[in-house]
Amino acid sequence: MNSKNMKTYLVGAASIGLLGAISIWARPPFTEAQLTEQHQELLEVVNKGRDLWHGSNPQMSSNGLACGNCHPDAAASNPQSFPKWVSEIGSVAPMRDMINWCIVHPQAGKALDPDGSDMIALEAYAFYLYRGQKIEPGLALPTPPDPVTSGVGFEHKPSGIGVDK
Amino acid sequence: MSYETDFTRRRFLGLAGNAGLATFAARAIGVNTGLIEVLAAETRTGVQPFSFAIITDSHLFSFDNHRFDKALADAVAQVNALTPAVDFVMYTGDIAQNGKEDQLVKGKKILSALKAPLKVIPGEHDWYLDMGKAWNGLFGKETWSYDHKGVHFIGLNSILVRDFWTGAGMSPVERMSTMEMLESPIAGPWGVRDAQLEFLRKDVKKLAANTPVVIFTHSPLWDYYPRWNFQTEDAPQIREILSKFDHVTSLHGHVHQTIYNKIGNLSSAGALSTSWPWPYPPVKLEYPGSQMNQSDPANTKDGMGTQSISFDASGATATYEPFANSLTPFLKDGLKV
Repeated sequence: MNSKNMKTYLVGAASIGLLGAISIWARPPFTEAQLTEQHQELLEVVNKGRDLWHGSNPQMSSNGLACGNCHPDAAASNPQSFPKWVSEIGSVAPMRDMINWCIVHPQAGKALDPDGSDMIALEAYAFYLYRGQKIEPGLALPTPPDPVTSGVGFEHKPSGIGVDK
Repeated sequence: MSYETDFTRRRFLGLAGNAGLATFAARAIGVNTGLIEVLAAETRTGVQPFSFAIITDSHLFSFDNHRFDKALADAVAQVNALTPAVDFVMYTGDIAQNGKEDQLVKGKKILSALKAPLKVIPGEHDWYLDMGKAWNGLFGKETWSYDHKGVHFIGLNSILVRDFWTGAGMSPVERMSTMEMLESPIAGPWGVRDAQLEFLRKDVKKLAANTPVVIFTHSPLWDYYPRWNFQTEDAPQIREILSKFDHVTSLHGHVHQTIYNKIGNLSSAGALSTSWPWPYPPVKLEYPGSQMNQSDPANTKDGMGTQSISFDASGATATYEPFANSLTPFLKDGLKV
């Protein structure tokens, strides 16, 4: 390394250090109270998603069917496998497109705004039940995760009768 | 036994072609284990060969011309076309979706096109709006037994829960809505409860041990997946009461899927619905050969259909009659129960 390169290197390293210091200074760690509050916000959206999953928005169905009819506990929805090829859509698609496909076809409803709060809530519910699962685009789990064992922190508490092993 | 050899060769080719060799290995173990146990059961005497059909879980809504109405009518036509003709048809619960009388009436009307006599037990979707009042008025008693060509048949109401609504001040509609949700933890486990256990005790008291017994319930008589009430809380007592028999066949609805299990002398098989297929829950199946292929969501009839059970001196064979092609060859060709 010649002296010019060394100078550039040192200036670069110092800049990175300074940026790091600034970011620490500018964004202190969240307090426990803030983290709890943020988690509660998430759970509220998850709970809204759970209700939507079970038919709380009449726009999503004209024949009485809801997501939960075929996907109890979000089973076989496999959010961790998106984006992936979806035959029904004919392209690689994110989960929200699959949700809208189900709303329009099996449920004969009106598609949601893909960026709207209802869609975010539906995704939040499904992803929350599958949290901890490995992200593997294109692959579906052979069996769904067990919400009884993976559902710690979920407001809708399991009854305990799911523990039959 | 030659059948076992035939089974291994024939089904190996069928399953390997359908599902691939990797999945076959797991399936073959379960399938063969089940068959060996069933075939080892004592040969029955005094049974005249006959068959009956199962239709279940139509979940009819109140909408006119709903696609589930057509699906139930298709199931009726499918059963009417079975050859040889069935002696009777069993409906194992959930005619209605929301427990409304109009839904039950519509179901009864569609089922009235059956050529064979109909026997019915209730599901939770039929029951919790008016606690069975409309259902009882239309279909009679939910607990019954009778003998047919040497086989003893029993029907029980397995969807009884403890009172969760009075203390919570729930309306009938709220009670029904709570029961409608499969994964709702509020209602707690289902069961047949004391009065029906007593009925069962008395009913089988005088029967000989070699009498073939078939018991119908909406929910499975084993702990498949209690979170979705894929269970019956007092199933252990039921199995104990029936333990004196050489072999008992339990046929149930509710699971909307093909499923088989064997506990002691009791072999269980779940029936396809005519409404929608449930996914398999996160449970390792002892008999994975009884699991159908994943249904196609773009095909509204995939993973659904009816079931026919043929009975002879060697026991019962359940054959699934799918509306569409989601079954493995093993399930289409017949499952020894």
